[in-house]
Amino acid sequence: MGVTVLQPYPLPEGKSGAYIIDHLSKRLLSLGATHAGQFLVDCETFISTPQHGGAPSRAVHVLHNSEYPASTFSIIDNGTGKQVSLVADNIFDLLMLKMTATFASKKQTKIESRGARFEYGDFVIKLGSVTMMEHFKGILIEIEYKSCVILSYCWEMIREMLQGFLGMQVPKDYPNYFTTQTIMNAMGQQQLLHAKHNDLYEPMDTVKQYLEQFTNYRKHVNVHVGGAAGVSVQPIHMPPSSIVGVGVGMGRP
Amino acid sequence: MSANSVNISVETTCENQIREIGYDGTELYQPPPTLSESLAKCAARIDFSKTSLDDLKKEEKSATEAEESRDKDGNQFQESLWPWDAVRNKLKDAFTEICVLSDVISIAKDKRYLVLDPLLEDGDDTKPIVQVYSRKKAISQAAQVLLGGAERLRNAHSEQRSRNISDFHIELLRLRQNWRLKKVSNAIIGDLSYRTAGSKFNMSGTFEVTKAEELADDDQLQGQNSSSSSSSTANGMPIKAASALRVIVPAELQGVAYIKVITQKDQEDLCSAQVNLMGHGPNITAQVGVWQKTLEFAQNVLFCKELFAQLAREAIQLQAPIPHVVIGNQIRATLLPNIQLIISLCHSTTFDSSQPAPINDHDHVLEHSLHQLLREVHYKNSHHPFPHPSSAPLGPSKKRMMAGPMAADRETLMDMTKSQTILEQIIAQAQHIFMRKRTQYVLDTLARDVKDPQIVSHWNAMNSPTMSCVKINIVTHGYDAIGRTSLVIHVKERSLKCICRDGRVMRLSYEPQELRDLILCQINSHQISCLVSLARCMAWTVLSNSNHLGIGKVEPLGNASSCLLASPNGDRMIAVQIRCDPQIDVKVYIAKSPRQDFFPNPLVPEKLWENLGGSFKEVRFDKIEGKSFLNKMEFLMASLTSNTA
Repeated sequence: MGVTVLQPYPLPEGKSGAYIIDHLSKRLLSLGATHAGQFLVDCETFISTPQHGGAPSRAVHVLHNSEYPASTFSIIDNGTGKQVSLVADNIFDLLMLKMTATFASKKQTKIESRGARFEYGDFVIKLGSVTMMEHFKGILIEIEYKSCVILSYCWEMIREMLQGFLGMQVPKDYPNYFTTQTIMNAMGQQQLLHAKHNDLYEPMDTVKQYLEQFTNYRKHVNVHVGGAAGVSVQPIHMPPSSIVGVGVGMGRP
Repeated sequence: MSANSVNISVETTCENQIREIGYDGTELYQPPPTLSESLAKCAARIDFSKTSLDDLKKEEKSATEAEESRDKDGNQFQESLWPWDAVRNKLKDAFTEICVLSDVISIAKDKRYLVLDPLLEDGDDTKPIVQVYSRKKAISQAAQVLLGGAERLRNAHSEQRSRNISDFHIELLRLRQNWRLKKVSNAIIGDLSYRTAGSKFNMSGTFEVTKAEELADDDQLQGQNSSSSSSSTANGMPIKAASALRVIVPAELQGVAYIKVITQKDQEDLCSAQVNLMGHGPNITAQVGVWQKTLEFAQNVLFCKELFAQLAREAIQLQAPIPHVVIGNQIRATLLPNIQLIISLCHSTTFDSSQPAPINDHDHVLEHSLHQLLREVHYKNSHHPFPHPSSAPLGPSKKRMMAGPMAADRETLMDMTKSQTILEQIIAQAQHIFMRKRTQYVLDTLARDVKDPQIVSHWNAMNSPTMSCVKINIVTHGYDAIGRTSLVIHVKERSLKCICRDGRVMRLSYEPQELRDLILCQINSHQISCLVSLARCMAWTVLSNSNHLGIGKVEPLGNASSCLLASPNGDRMIAVQIRCDPQIDVKVYIAKSPRQDFFPNPLVPEKLWENLGGSFKEVRFDKIEGKSFLNKMEFLMASLTSNTA
């Protein structure tokens, strides 16, 4: 279990997701990586039923990661950006089924990232296509460096690796998840979260990154559909690549 | 009944008493008393002591009764009698008794047929002396009973002490303290198997306990001794008294068994081991009797049989590159090419007093390991980790239960499912023992043969059954502070891993030659690196050094290393080349500047070119004074350093 970084890959115009995945897999295989199975990360969201007193509705996200098959990850979002996370046994899913009185499942927003898994020395690279209810949303690339557990020690190497096989520029700063983020705390003030690039990396961090990316994909749906009110207030910072990348045509060698 | 009249109903108010209120609020009313009940109520109020009024009331009552009874039907009349019936009977009885009493008194007054005599009163209390006598008699009778019992006990006790043979029951008590016994109909059956400790072996380990036969005369006594204390003759000690009980063990568990483990290399014994649960020598205390040893031997036989059966089963099921061979009571497994591990079950049922002494050079470690491995299997069978929470399934180990909340990844989960059989484990341990012995042998012979830098090896005191570590220091005597080459070698089951000080990791196979070559190469580089440090101490300049010199003949082993030194004032140069083919071969050359043999010639006319050094002359290094290479180099450098500034 090492440092894992998620990199959304911007889709160029005119090319389908399957073509991109195929293209990237060929590049990885020619580099010398070996195909090592499939992976799946999925996320299901439960919204709490509206209560008296006008308390904001809370969302419970339940995620699974095939890299940790014995665990179920769960994150509670209470609308102000504060998240409470939990790692539990797989039996947690059955527990959620019992909670239908308090939480309603929103099947429409079940989102997953699925694809092939490649092992290349100390790296594990996963090319995932993100789908929500059978609609293709984008491509997420996950890269894990197994030998290191602190991002600041190996960020440069991961960046070099990514640039090498993706063929696109990766910004020098740490990914958004690892830098300081501002959230609204309970009193309505902005509060800076502690920067994570010097902390020990945990499997929960991978899952939180996935949740962040999935939420972005969901918001794009909302924006495209017609601006239906968002489900929850998200952190103010948006990862620059996911928005900017959509419009920029990538000139690749 | 005319249309204008109004029907009026008159009802009593329902003022009945509530008898009971149901749980749902319904009220049960006591029905109003029937007329007969009210009559009984009134009759009960009659006080028969008042006679004058009684008759009056009686007449009244009877009158009302007659009135009412006429209104009712026959049944009612009958029922109204019942409350009176008791009263009437009682009156009748009383009247009868009074009549009888008056008759008796009148007859007694006549004194012709009946006389009344006064009752004799009891006399005064008996005299105290009578009481004393009666109590004394009672107590003496009780004393008689107690004395009789005590006499009997004393007789039994003295009888016991006079006999040499201990009581059956005492022996049984001792037996029961050590072994599990139970009574089945008339016989006493015991269990010496490991079933309650977690074993799943089919062979039953039940034995029977019986009383020893009565001893008629001395000959029979001797015969009894030899037959019932059969296993004790192994000690050579004569047992004076046979025990009062005899244990009968099943035929297949009689005798003595042990498991012999031998590592064989091409028919030669390298090391051997013996599994034997018994302590050697006369450890058995005489107090517990001869049956203890019999039972312990039988239990040992059972344990060895179970162990061997388990190993044989695994040997057949396991897929090894060279298949294991099971013949009769022997299992052959291959550890390394030409090295075999032979495990055999030796079960001897004949009791010869000259039992062979245990093999003196056997290895206790493998013996103990086999014993521990089977006990570990037993333990896992009987102890299951308790799940937290208690509703979780019973079965997965604690590590597996924590794998979910701790986000264990796939490799960890896969590793949890792998488990090794006893045979695999003992093969791994035997392989490791063999590798360790071989590595020790290589290091020791190298340390003996190579005198110049000294090879010091420190083995870790703590190691696991399948891995040991050794740290090797290569130092030159007298120059420890100058430099030292260290490396760590991890000895595993079939391979070695060598980690050098600069971080290089090399993996070697089980061939001893590879380790030897590695150490020789390390010696090579040690000499040069120490020489470089020594030169600095002597103020000589290191012009260049190289660990992988690519000149000269191709070396059969490693690479040649070299070093080029210049004296403090630059007029002398030393070139050293060390090769490894396979003895360490040192060549030293020196050059002088200015050259002695430079003569100006038309091609190179100026005299100043004599300062260009370069003609090296070889030094007969073996003739130089000095205990070691570094010592000789130090002397050489010292002699070549000139005084001029």
